[in-house]
Amino acid sequence: MKNRSLAASAAVLALTAGAVQAETVVLSAYSGIFEENYRAAVVEPFMEAHPDIDVEFYGMPNSAQMLGTLRAQKSAPQIDVMILDVSVAKAATDEGLFAPLDESVTAHVADLYPQARVEGVNAVGVTFDNLVMLYNTDKVTEAPTSWEALWDPQWKGQVSIPAVPDIQGTTLTIIANRLAGGEGYMDGMEPGIAKLMELAPNVQTWEPRPDVYQPISSGTAAIGIGWNARAQVYADKSDGKLGVVLPEEGSGFQINVIGLVQDAPAGDAAKTFLDYALSPEVQARFTETMFYAPTNQKAAALVSEAALERTAAGSMDEMIPINWLEVATIRDAVTEQWRRRIIPLSR
Amino acid sequence: MTAVPAVSAGRRPMGGQQVAVALLLPIALINVVGFMLPIFNLARYSFNRATVGGGIENVLTLQNWTGLLGDPFYLQLILNSVFVSLGVTLCALILSYPIALYLHRASGSWRTFLTVLVISPLLTSAVVRTYGWIAILAEEGPVVSAIRGMGLTPPPLMFNINGVFIGLTEILMPYMILALLAGFGRLDPRVEEAARTLGATPWQSFRRVILPLTAPGIALGCLLCFVLAVSSFITPKLMGGGRVFLLATEIYDQAIVTLNWPLASTLSILVLVIFGAALVAYSAVLKRLD
Repeated sequence: MKNRSLAASAAVLALTAGAVQAETVVLSAYSGIFEENYRAAVVEPFMEAHPDIDVEFYGMPNSAQMLGTLRAQKSAPQIDVMILDVSVAKAATDEGLFAPLDESVTAHVADLYPQARVEGVNAVGVTFDNLVMLYNTDKVTEAPTSWEALWDPQWKGQVSIPAVPDIQGTTLTIIANRLAGGEGYMDGMEPGIAKLMELAPNVQTWEPRPDVYQPISSGTAAIGIGWNARAQVYADKSDGKLGVVLPEEGSGFQINVIGLVQDAPAGDAAKTFLDYALSPEVQARFTETMFYAPTNQKAAALVSEAALERTAAGSMDEMIPINWLEVATIRDAVTEQWRRRIIPLSR
Repeated sequence: MTAVPAVSAGRRPMGGQQVAVALLLPIALINVVGFMLPIFNLARYSFNRATVGGGIENVLTLQNWTGLLGDPFYLQLILNSVFVSLGVTLCALILSYPIALYLHRASGSWRTFLTVLVISPLLTSAVVRTYGWIAILAEEGPVVSAIRGMGLTPPPLMFNINGVFIGLTEILMPYMILALLAGFGRLDPRVEEAARTLGATPWQSFRRVILPLTAPGIALGCLLCFVLAVSSFITPKLMGGGRVFLLATEIYDQAIVTLNWPLASTLSILVLVIFGAALVAYSAVLKRLD
């Protein structure tokens, strides 16, 4: 009896010692539906494959808060790996908050699409998302195919658009600029602004809440814009009420990047996680789960046809190339145009 | 002879002062660390320069302040905030005053019941209450349907300034009622009775007796509601439909969406200045009342 209990306590000791030795990687990314899916598709399988590494998911509602947290922890970082919007990552890089990231950290970096590697940002693309058109299937009975559907007078007071400074509004401006025959967005946005001034009378709200998906699912609004990945997930949960379409004129990407926090405590374990997150298999699995397009070129071949059709991965060529770091330089000017000329035209 | 009591009189307050200092020290420390330092930090940010994409350049510049005060959009925004808040405060006062007066005169368990009823909205989050208003005022909601039923064309009530006004007024009413009640202490029912028995009409007794006696409560309620209205951002965000630009919503956008922390800080300090002005006005009113 005594021996047995001794053996048992020895086993417990060994276990706890093992637990103490296990390295912890703190991953920070979006909370909510992203966290739910990323845990299931990436974090949990990673911990099964690497029993010696524990990943703690620290969710935050937006990139701004992540930047704020990194700034606050600059002298003693507690986050090892972060997933956030590329333009915010640029600000973080400029302030020395991200460690350099290249092929020496993970070989997968070489396999990424060119759009996933942005000069001057110490982080690389981990998900591609694209702007899509959303519609309520009860109100809009025939699936629209063109962005022009937003301008249709029959949806007067029924269109839901997140206005700039939200980047969904910025992306729509770039798309509208192209619809109106404008040149590249850096050559002036006037045609796009004029085009959006015609859209203004149709708009019900420039600030859909709690997000863009719910008011359209519930029929408060008939048609609007949103991001593909979330739209696809909510469409599945909406009982067929929420329709999602990638219009024929193409769309633009939003890029989430993954980076290593400068002077992070986890060291090599963080690199192991980053390598895993960018591998083709894991990228494909997350695409199957949440319909973000993969950033690793080798991943698309591993994604099922059904999932591929619901992402932009099959139509990478139709995407309007948007350099978000360039767009950042004209963002204030675009915001000013929206506030002074577009928004006042809606009741 | 006179020197002795002067010394002992001088010593006693000294001891009292030391006790006071000792008692005040903990809260003073908490205030310095938890409030003064962050405010100082905020003020410092307002003199830094925002770089493209959300960075902060640690230089000393007046750029944010001159840019803000020279931009007609922001001047309009500041005026909007002040006027909307004043309007909401006035509406809340007009709607709350009779309720508070009735509550003050009620007695026993009836009064307790009514007080609980008045306070109960505070137990629900402003977000939930705002969503309630969205359902009530929406295009297919009961209010719009009722107006249509009367054969009239309803004005747009949702996703504009009307919605923000209605929502904010209702959300701030409990604060106004509580502040009014707290300030009604001097209102003795016997004074009103005296006024009436001496031949005052109900209006005269209200105008000459009740109103002056309840003025401190009105001042307190208005200060509280004004400050809360200027700083509230959930209701304008949810009910304004992106068309209503106010200081609080702009601070949120600049801090969270555009990541222009220096501008957000400048606007925040400006809000503090407005609060300071409100406090000055409040104490001036109180002084005149005394």
